[in-house]
Amino acid sequence: MSKQTYTTGQVLTSAQMTQLQANDYNQTVSAKVASYTLVASDAGTRITMSNASATTITVNTSLFTAGDTLIITNIGAGVCTITAGTATVSTGGSLALAQYDSGTLYFTSTGVSIWNGVNPGDITGVTAGTGLTGGGTSGTVSLAIDSTVATLTGTQTLTNKTLTSPALTTPTISTLTTNGDLVYGTGSGALSRLGIGSSAQILTVASGIPSWATPSAGGGMTLLSTTNLTGAQTISITGISQSYKALTLYIENFSSTVDSSMSMFFNNDTTLTNYLEYMMRNRAPSTSADFVDQTSFLTGYGLDATTSYGFSYVTIPNYTSTNYKIYQVWSVHTGESLEFAQTYNWTAYNGTSAISEINIKSGTGNWDSGTVKIYGVN
Amino acid sequence: MENLMVRIHNIENDEITDREMNKKELEEYTNNQNLLITNKEKEKSALAAKQSAQAKLAALGLTEEEVAAIVGN
Repeated sequence: MSKQTYTTGQVLTSAQMTQLQANDYNQTVSAKVASYTLVASDAGTRITMSNASATTITVNTSLFTAGDTLIITNIGAGVCTITAGTATVSTGGSLALAQYDSGTLYFTSTGVSIWNGVNPGDITGVTAGTGLTGGGTSGTVSLAIDSTVATLTGTQTLTNKTLTSPALTTPTISTLTTNGDLVYGTGSGALSRLGIGSSAQILTVASGIPSWATPSAGGGMTLLSTTNLTGAQTISITGISQSYKALTLYIENFSSTVDSSMSMFFNNDTTLTNYLEYMMRNRAPSTSADFVDQTSFLTGYGLDATTSYGFSYVTIPNYTSTNYKIYQVWSVHTGESLEFAQTYNWTAYNGTSAISEINIKSGTGNWDSGTVKIYGVN
Repeated sequence: MENLMVRIHNIENDEITDREMNKKELEEYTNNQNLLITNKEKEKSALAAKQSAQAKLAALGLTEEEVAAIVGN
């Protein structure tokens, strides 16, 4: 029963008493199915709203008095919103009632009411932090992973993740175990380790993958031996490597125990017909230069130990050939004004074996000084 | 005269072996010595002949340049 105003002498009937009692135990219900504006007789009753779509219940002033109370329950699926018309409606929560939400509208004066609806808790909004998107301050709030996340702090383990154009700062790869290791692709998207090579090795490709290799000798001279010219008339240098394209000899500061000369043979072959030798010699200043068809294989003159020393430079290209081997010898000597100061021999050796031995003979007596350096040339 | 020696330096293992010349090597050495002496005497003889020719040409009144043009320096 709605709120009544009784007057003096008015008789309360039994039916009214019964209705009052019923209202006390079972509140009078006013069922609504569309948006509704409260009226004065709604005081003390329960208003129900049932609508699948959104509805409103409007509160106006000058209808209720201080202390009046009514209950509103939303039964329908559509949100029912308590709406301030000409009265004020204050609340600590939400004025929107979802399905099955209820609340009490309590008037503190005829134009001021307080809505006590569902307890909204103390969350007033959800803000998307770093790495998240979405959030909101009402209704259903969604959060999602931010696809533009650029910063992840702390140690992270990513498994089977695809990184597109990642910028890596000081990355570490567990398979790289040694200082200087390299990584290379295997062709299936995986990486493999190439351990650091040895000093002076170069990176090359073998069997389709990179590897370290020792570069082949090339373009330089390798000192094969250093032999002193002392204590013998013949110095034989044997065991010459066959791994080079040419030999170069520096024969320096040589002299013998008596006035002498130097001659050179190969493979201890002293068969004179196996050598074709021609010498140009300069006898200046005492005599003009001349040419000599050599028969004694002289490559240096006047090597008196006390006054004169010789120096020769020899090149033997293609020394591993089993055919003619052409070679040349430049020589100078110092100290004796009447002997040959410079000689140049252009020569061929017709031995059928590669040159593996060089014999340097003093014309007279044993060698007593000098050094022979043999270089392999590539 | 000191003994004539042959020194063999095997640069594969850097071993050095000394031995005296064998008979054949001594013969070659002697032959070469004789050849050197012969060649040197020939050189001296040729030089003396050249110098004699230069002197005779000079005595005939040729200048040094004219002599050089004929027999060289």
